[in-house]
Amino acid sequence: MTTDRPLVLLVDDEADITANLAPLLTRSGFEVETAADGQEALDRIGAHPPDAIVMDVLMPRLDGREALRRLRRAGDWTPVVLLTRVGESSERAMALEEGADDYLNKPFDPHELIARVRAVLRRARPGQPPLSAAARLVTGPLSFERASRRVRLEQVELQLTPKAVTLLEYLMTHPDELISRERLLDAVWGWDYPTGTRTVDTRMAELRRALHDDPTHPTYIETVSGQGYRFIAPVRGG
Amino acid sequence: MNRRDLALLIGLALTPLVIALLWGALAVAGFLPNPGLYMRGEASAFAFVAGVGLSLWLVSLVWLAWVGARRAHRAEAAAHKAGAADRRRFLERLDHELKNPLTAIRAGLANLPEPAQGPALVSVESQVRRISRLTTDLRKLAELESRPLEFGAVQIDELLETVVGAVRERPEFAERTVVVSVPQAPWPVPAVHGDFDLLLLATLNLLDNALKFTAPGARIEIRAREDGGAVIIEVADTGPGIPVDEQPHLWEELYRGAGARSIPGSGLGLALCRAIVDRHGGKLSVLSQVGKGTVFTLRLPATASP
Repeated sequence: MTTDRPLVLLVDDEADITANLAPLLTRSGFEVETAADGQEALDRIGAHPPDAIVMDVLMPRLDGREALRRLRRAGDWTPVVLLTRVGESSERAMALEEGADDYLNKPFDPHELIARVRAVLRRARPGQPPLSAAARLVTGPLSFERASRRVRLEQVELQLTPKAVTLLEYLMTHPDELISRERLLDAVWGWDYPTGTRTVDTRMAELRRALHDDPTHPTYIETVSGQGYRFIAPVRGG
Repeated sequence: MNRRDLALLIGLALTPLVIALLWGALAVAGFLPNPGLYMRGEASAFAFVAGVGLSLWLVSLVWLAWVGARRAHRAEAAAHKAGAADRRRFLERLDHELKNPLTAIRAGLANLPEPAQGPALVSVESQVRRISRLTTDLRKLAELESRPLEFGAVQIDELLETVVGAVRERPEFAERTVVVSVPQAPWPVPAVHGDFDLLLLATLNLLDNALKFTAPGARIEIRAREDGGAVIIEVADTGPGIPVDEQPHLWEELYRGAGARSIPGSGLGLALCRAIVDRHGGKLSVLSQVGKGTVFTLRLPATASP
């Protein structure tokens, strides 16, 4: 039976998680299939390709990271949201390097998961690698070389702090998506203390100065009052 | 025992040898009025040998004491490190064991049909969020001890300006008098070699506490100054103060004093501040009097003075 509801494959070895998340995803407009480990996930993907995959990292038989690696090696670029361990910044960085489209730390807000799944589906370009896996991100005169961490504007290399570089990378890999300060703090700094959101504003100001981006008439980064930031320029991977 | 104390003790221990040598030299050179009286052959030899013997004995005593102290210090450091590693492992396991049940509970709650939603459910949801946040914070606190820092020159005026800017919009801020002083004369307070974001977080936590624990009308002062090779940042308030018996426990994870229990918070803020200050090679201390107020003092090694 075909349907226009996107099919999400939910992979977690904890039955209570899949049992509770699956109906929620269904109510939110998705078709849902579940798998209990990486191997079962690969088998299901082979039999019935989903539109998006939500996958835990730590699982028996075949873990999420290895399953993702095999998927990407086979040229399958179905959007993947990895469910990572809290606080492990190295794990988060690795998740993106290995081709995940996004990640979420457990325990997460289930509605946040739905928002992320919708966002990766919106960003997905069928059959092509996601921006998070691109070696180079480009928008107009601004380019970002992922491996060397070099940012150039009009061919001139910008001098940015490592945090500002990571912040720009996160924004450019999530274009046109409203991102809260808390999420940026969690993704870029690895902590989410509410009083620390000011840190995000400080780095954002540094980034805007370097990009000559006027906050009142932004070309790149828009401030959404009381909610967060949005990278508004169209980004292509290379 | 530090190296200076050790050098001083060895110097003292060698004094008998120096005196014996000096005495002998003076006698041989004929500076003593009646060398025969002070320096007969046997006596000089005896004084020399006795001096050498006494010095050697004293030197070995000092050396043994120093070796013992160093060994004790090393054992203490190793025990501390092992304790910290144990704690980190425990937090990792705790986090690992709690994250799946919490994820399942949150998904289950979000999944309940509308009629079941009500005040009781809202309360359950908020408590689950609280536990989620707590495990996350504990895990991150453990990570803070090992994560790489982004060191650079941190300008104190910029740091404190950002800190105050972060809370300026809060209603508590308007209800209290907040004064910031960073001396610029005769020269500005020197910069600190540190991670701006983490120092911001630590200072912000202290100011956040001052705002939370004082009553409207209180005065809060954030002061910076130079002291020798260090920069001191103080966050002082005219709040209720902290009883003396609670003060040593303030830095412990999840500790909440009697006066703090009714005020929302994780009980991790000061533990976090201390972890940050430790990673900068600094010191965090508190001085408080019940009924008068509290001052938290952050001492950080300064970069070279201007």
